[in-house]
Amino acid sequence: MRLDDKLLEFLGRPLMCIIAGADAGGRPSAGRGVGFDVQEDRETIDVIFSAWQSPRLEADIRQTGRVAATFVSPSDYVSFQLKGRASLQETTARHRDCAERFMAAATNELEALGVPRHIIPPWLTARGIRVARLAISEIYVQTPGPLAGMLAGAGSP
Amino acid sequence: MSLRLSDLASCFEGVIPSIIATASADGMPNISYLSHVVRVDDAHVALSNQFFAKTAANIRANPKVTLILVDGFTGAQFLLDIGFVRSVDTGPLFDRIALQLKASSAQVGMSEVMRLRSADIFRVHAIEAVPSDVETIPAAASRAPVSLPALSEAIRAVEQAADAGGIIDSLLAAVRQVLGYGNALVLIHDSHHGCMVTAGSIGYEHSGLGSEIAGSEGLIGSAAATARTIKVNDMSRLRRFGEAIGQEAEAAENLTRTVAFPQLPAAMSQIAVPMIARGTMKGVLFIESAERLAFREDDEAALEILAGQAAGALANSEREAAAAEPAQAARSAAPTAVGREISVVHHRYDDSVFVDGTYIVKGVAGALLRLMVEWHLAEGRNEFTNREMRLAAGARMPDIKDNLETRLLLLRRRLEEKQAPLRLVRIGRGRVRLNVDGALTLGTAGA
Repeated sequence: MRLDDKLLEFLGRPLMCIIAGADAGGRPSAGRGVGFDVQEDRETIDVIFSAWQSPRLEADIRQTGRVAATFVSPSDYVSFQLKGRASLQETTARHRDCAERFMAAATNELEALGVPRHIIPPWLTARGIRVARLAISEIYVQTPGPLAGMLAGAGSP
Repeated sequence: MSLRLSDLASCFEGVIPSIIATASADGMPNISYLSHVVRVDDAHVALSNQFFAKTAANIRANPKVTLILVDGFTGAQFLLDIGFVRSVDTGPLFDRIALQLKASSAQVGMSEVMRLRSADIFRVHAIEAVPSDVETIPAAASRAPVSLPALSEAIRAVEQAADAGGIIDSLLAAVRQVLGYGNALVLIHDSHHGCMVTAGSIGYEHSGLGSEIAGSEGLIGSAAATARTIKVNDMSRLRRFGEAIGQEAEAAENLTRTVAFPQLPAAMSQIAVPMIARGTMKGVLFIESAERLAFREDDEAALEILAGQAAGALANSEREAAAAEPAQAARSAAPTAVGREISVVHHRYDDSVFVDGTYIVKGVAGALLRLMVEWHLAEGRNEFTNREMRLAAGARMPDIKDNLETRLLLLRRRLEEKQAPLRLVRIGRGRVRLNVDGALTLGTAGA
């Protein structure tokens, strides 16, 4: 599935990201994303997370290759969830840059919204970052409200 | 498990959203934020099931769920493996979750979006701390626990207070001295008008005595309506609960007959604790603080103990005043009225009373003042008993049967605060005197 212009614009805002995987027995794992990089085809996105902080997430992606990633704009709760098959990729300097920018923007945004700065660092670490390359097959509006859970993405207004 | 749910108290305040991950029957994961997680007991949590259809469907198909909880003080994160047990959509547990959700969703400004339909109960299988490469500051540990000896002494002071005013003042003193909060209000329940009226306060520029909260409005109204303590712990992203009236309202009192509700503009935490005596709502103790997460579990428990004691003491003071009063006050002639004229105007439709054009009070307290002024003018006396007031006004306002003392207290304090030329003095159990500094006239306005 292709990310439309509206979604790309959304992804340009300061965001928070949460990621889930599941093991072969159906037990889910969860962790926080610390960056992302939309690929040129707009159908693939590299989602960056700390495998040091979320080792189970890494193991599950390796085992079952399925990922869900939700992006939320903290200022207005607008959220989208992307799902699909994923594989672990080599981490590049570009990924590290993406992570640094993402974490700085998120920290500033949260602080501007009144979240005390000292409680933010436990959520955002670049230690042991790994990259899951997600081939987007489903996009959902996740903003709380009447549209929550509806399919979005290509063709949406 | 090495970590217990009781170690995670600051994760259940609804300040930082939790995260819920589920997986469908075919193994596709799903992840979303969750507004509130409630600790049911040491082995169970409840999740507000107002979240998304996919999460709900996944849980039914595959009961294995993973949560991330966040400590609102430190930011520390915890990963929980939990399993779905059952749903509840009625009963005490559901009510508790619904009330907490109402407060916590209000604190992120989403009370209109979040409506609880049912709650899901989960068994907690494992809890682990999520690694962090920064050392979290244990802010919660920096405050001393509530001192039980100090609490015990404060309870004695409440019990030994001579009258309703003393009880409310001792309660507010305990809030300041035992728990260290600087801004607090005591509101008394006025079932005649279906509202809560401020009868005592500490820490505000304007005392707010006589200000009202209607119905089940905001935190205070919710606490009164549900008879449960309700709090918000992080108002950084929220306009204060809607009780506050603009600063100019103080000056507009005479036009609006409404006293401005006191406000702490920098409030980050608020708590409303119902004051219940033998199942009867006597009032609400309301406290606010500029600190985030100012009300820990043990603070809440101490406040509930104090509020309960004060409610019992208020009920006792009503009973004692009723029992001790003489059949009739001494018919001592009032001193001959001399000096300037004092105009008292009573408005029938809301029982509001103005003295020399200044709004004093409305409702039951206003009706009582009118009664005393009438008696003063007709019979030339200044001393009155609770009993005769109850007999005269009780038919129209049955509420005063149990709350006469607090109504008289409110009237006394408003007359003092407005520096009115007539004052009410308590001269014994069940007896008051109206001190008048001039010659009274009584006018009636409205139909």
